[in-house]
Amino acid sequence: MIQRLAARYYSLLILLSLLVLFVLLVLHVAVGSVPISPATVVAALFNQPVETYQRIIVWDLRLPRALIALLAGAMFGLAGAILQIIMRNPLAEPEMTGATSGSVLFAVLWLAQGPGQLAQPGPILPFVALIGGLIGGALVYLFSWRGHNDPVRLVLTGVLISAVLRSAISIILLLRQEVIGTVLLWLIGSLNGLVWDQLNILWPWAVIALPLGLTCASLANVLQLGEASASSLGLNATWTRLSLFFVAALLTASAVAVVGGITFLGLLAPHLARRVVGADARRLFPFSMLVGSGILLAADTVTQAVTQPVTVPVGAALALLGVPFFLYLVWRRNP
Amino acid sequence: MKQHTDDQPPSKTVLAAQALSVGYSERLVIPELSLEIAIGTITALVGPNGSGKSTVLKTLARLIAPSAGAVYLDGRAIASLPTREVARQLAILPQAPTAPEELTVGELVEQGRYPHAGPLRMLREQDHHAITEALTQANMLELRDRRLDSLSGGERQRAWIALALAQSTPILLLDEPTTFLDVGHQLEILTLIQQLNRIQGKTIVLVLHDLNQAARFAGRIIVLHAGRVVADGLPRVILTPELLAEVFQVKATIINHPVDGVPVCLPYATEANSPDDNQSVSDGSNSS
Repeated sequence: MIQRLAARYYSLLILLSLLVLFVLLVLHVAVGSVPISPATVVAALFNQPVETYQRIIVWDLRLPRALIALLAGAMFGLAGAILQIIMRNPLAEPEMTGATSGSVLFAVLWLAQGPGQLAQPGPILPFVALIGGLIGGALVYLFSWRGHNDPVRLVLTGVLISAVLRSAISIILLLRQEVIGTVLLWLIGSLNGLVWDQLNILWPWAVIALPLGLTCASLANVLQLGEASASSLGLNATWTRLSLFFVAALLTASAVAVVGGITFLGLLAPHLARRVVGADARRLFPFSMLVGSGILLAADTVTQAVTQPVTVPVGAALALLGVPFFLYLVWRRNP
Repeated sequence: MKQHTDDQPPSKTVLAAQALSVGYSERLVIPELSLEIAIGTITALVGPNGSGKSTVLKTLARLIAPSAGAVYLDGRAIASLPTREVARQLAILPQAPTAPEELTVGELVEQGRYPHAGPLRMLREQDHHAITEALTQANMLELRDRRLDSLSGGERQRAWIALALAQSTPILLLDEPTTFLDVGHQLEILTLIQQLNRIQGKTIVLVLHDLNQAARFAGRIIVLHAGRVVADGLPRVILTPELLAEVFQVKATIINHPVDGVPVCLPYATEANSPDDNQSVSDGSNSS
């Protein structure tokens, strides 16, 4: 029923969602150690006269963080939606590309062994993490390859490689415990302290990878009918799966590089989106992005509001809230 | 062994296999098989489990690459044709296909237009027409907005057939299209397939388990045993007690249906322990 309405009034749904996202963004910016009223936030955003300190807080401190949440949420949401299709598994999540643990491992390695001054959490770290994420993704794909790829083998290899990379991370952290303090927030996934510098690293990747993923929607639609049907329809299933896998790994690696290993979002957002708009990737992909953005914005807003002055990392809050919510979804699945 | 009893005048061959050998890893499933499918006919592939009938069908559709030999589509080697070109000529409905349960019938059938899609993959006038046409033929038009998980087994199979129809191909291959259906829905699906052949002249090759249904709906039956063609021709000619004994190891009586005279096989005992079994190695594991 919801699905039929969503299909008929899809553009309206998207418009409404964008409106909701804007409201969430304003609320996100309004919340913090110095509360600013939503009206003032809107005024500041539209360059209406407000107090100077308020303008500085809105533009220099809080807006970049909100925009990072918006983009990273969309990237996790789309990556999850893509992976659930290519792995033909509703439990697939970005972590299974190996990109998350690859990013984290490289970042930890860099902080522990990197050359002197450079090895500080600065603008270089995200690039190192991105390279690690892409290598993690490539490892998963190569190890699952046996003449052709196969969804089940891809899932199993993804879980396996991620586990191996995670244990490597643990070993390095045990050997170089002084690094833990620097990377802890980032291991859990957090938006704390993110400003324009980080946003400037994130947005170019978002601009490349998000449209790339969206244009693959009609290929994904054919692919999700299964290997045999897709081939019968003239689609090269192996090549399509590889391309989509690469896009998902790119989305995950670049998002993790900036906000850290936020789990559950890439699992949750596509699940929710699928309930509303159904399985047609041309609607599922964009809507998963919007849902992902919305969840991350809302979660970060709530976490900031509730846990002042010591802000809990949003990754931890999402995992805490995500588990019971996901259980609820699973229970409702088979009435 | 191979009897060719087509008493019709020779017609154009649209799909042919020549000296086809197919194997999974080391095991050769099909050793040197050749067959020709004439335009506008219904051909049923039958045989015991593991006889290679599904493998033959998938190889004909280019889902499996043969280790030797070739498949020819309209006289051209199928392996050398562009994938899209093949997809416009030939559609295959795999056995027990799966799709996300949230997909609607309309969304599923729409994918059939993929090989015809123009730039930007937008649906054009002729695509919408083909989709509506396919839904109408499969009697699924009213269920267009229903989700796949809300359909009965028969409806779901008709939805998949509609997908294959939307592909608008002259050749349609079906791998056990009646599995998991009750007898009423089995007949419904087979009647639909028969109409597609009679009204639109589609060439149809289907794998069937039920010999009696094959005899009723196919003009030609090809019997496979251990990857080889052991009988090929009109149902009333090739269906004999000897064949059933050799291929299926059953004792059976063949009668003509009292209503319309179609041959009906009535198996009554297995022949597994029979001392006069003419082939000592006929359990399907013979792969030489």
